[in-house]
Amino acid sequence: MSTQQEAPSTEELAAEYVLGTLSATRRRMVEQRLPADAMLESAVQRWHEQLLPLVALAEPAEPSAQLWQRIERSVAHAVAPRRPAILPVPQPWWNSLGLWRGMAGAGFATAAIMAAVLVTRQGMLPTGPQYMVVLVAPQDTAPGWVIQTSNTRQLSLTPLGTVVVPAEKSLQFWTKAEGWSGPVSLGLVKPGQTVHIPLDKLPPLQPNQLFELTLEPVKGSPTNRPTGPIQFMGRAVKVL
Amino acid sequence: MDPPLTTALNDFNYERALHGCARGERQALQDIYQQDSRHLLGVALRIVRQRQQAEDIVHDAFMNIWTQAASFDARRGSGRGWIYSVVRNLALNAVRNGVREVSVDEEAAEALDAQTSLQAHVQADDAFDLRVSLGKLNDCLAMLEPARRNCILYAYVDGCSHGEIAARTQTPLGTVKAWIKRSMGSLRECMG
Repeated sequence: MSTQQEAPSTEELAAEYVLGTLSATRRRMVEQRLPADAMLESAVQRWHEQLLPLVALAEPAEPSAQLWQRIERSVAHAVAPRRPAILPVPQPWWNSLGLWRGMAGAGFATAAIMAAVLVTRQGMLPTGPQYMVVLVAPQDTAPGWVIQTSNTRQLSLTPLGTVVVPAEKSLQFWTKAEGWSGPVSLGLVKPGQTVHIPLDKLPPLQPNQLFELTLEPVKGSPTNRPTGPIQFMGRAVKVL
Repeated sequence: MDPPLTTALNDFNYERALHGCARGERQALQDIYQQDSRHLLGVALRIVRQRQQAEDIVHDAFMNIWTQAASFDARRGSGRGWIYSVVRNLALNAVRNGVREVSVDEEAAEALDAQTSLQAHVQADDAFDLRVSLGKLNDCLAMLEPARRNCILYAYVDGCSHGEIAARTQTPLGTVKAWIKRSMGSLRECMG
């Protein structure tokens, strides 16, 4: 019992991370350490392998017929990146519609390419996990907005083209992470303008966190939940 | 007893399928889905306990598999292990970040009378049917007392937090934490 108050060792962290008993905060801490901590990473990897036979204790469940269709649709928005090294890199990089049109169809994967562009172009040295989100229109494949987090502790939403918003309507920015009961408003967005949001106003970003822009009444959704059609949406990808 | 699961998955080459995904071959992703979606959904469902959320997890997991397959490194682990870890991580993150934990009264669990719980643990039966072949892991789990083994399995299979396990097993929270920590240490030594 004497060891109870001590900070958990790498081995203990890895064991309980894989077992699943760590709190949300500890889990995030482990996930942030993993890329840079080879000992932790190999201990986690070993536990994953050693406990894997236990998945057989969960009885299989038949997925609904729609599940694969949903995955296929999402995959269609996430074409794997191809030869990112030879992409033209205009200055500033996000202003070239040609670049974007050339990458039409890319969703998640675009984010990875853009992250590489960002890091090489701007020499950014991120301190925490960095996220990219490419927002596309539901019926389209061309990126409309891009979200990036930066080491200035800000999240920025940058338009990649012009968006026409009908009179008496506004674009409202939302996010929802897995496990949240509903989307949280990040405020109204003016077409063509970059929005900056301090990250400390948000819970820590998570991989796959959903971001969307919906069409709402001029002053924003009256219910504080999205009420209008989704104009653009995308999910966060951890890039570093 | 030879479970059909083991035989079925010996034939499937997860590493090759993941390399296919990394090359952008959608058929490879579909092959993984056909091979394992029922089992992956089962794993997610036990942890998140809601059908729709479990399907969302499997959807997101397949998106991660598709977009991150290139980061899979066969020298560091099996393809099958990687795929299951993607699903389990998403499911565990969802329940740890979500509302389920709020409903667990850890303090109440902690306040349970230690004496009663001690008796309960002496009489504990296995909560899981361990006849499925777990190989070496089975032998190592067998070395733990049933009450401690149950804690490990409630955590891994059902995604229970320390507090939920304490409530489920009528055991003080501190005891559950200590049992789990020591049991994982024993497993580590036993598995080598």
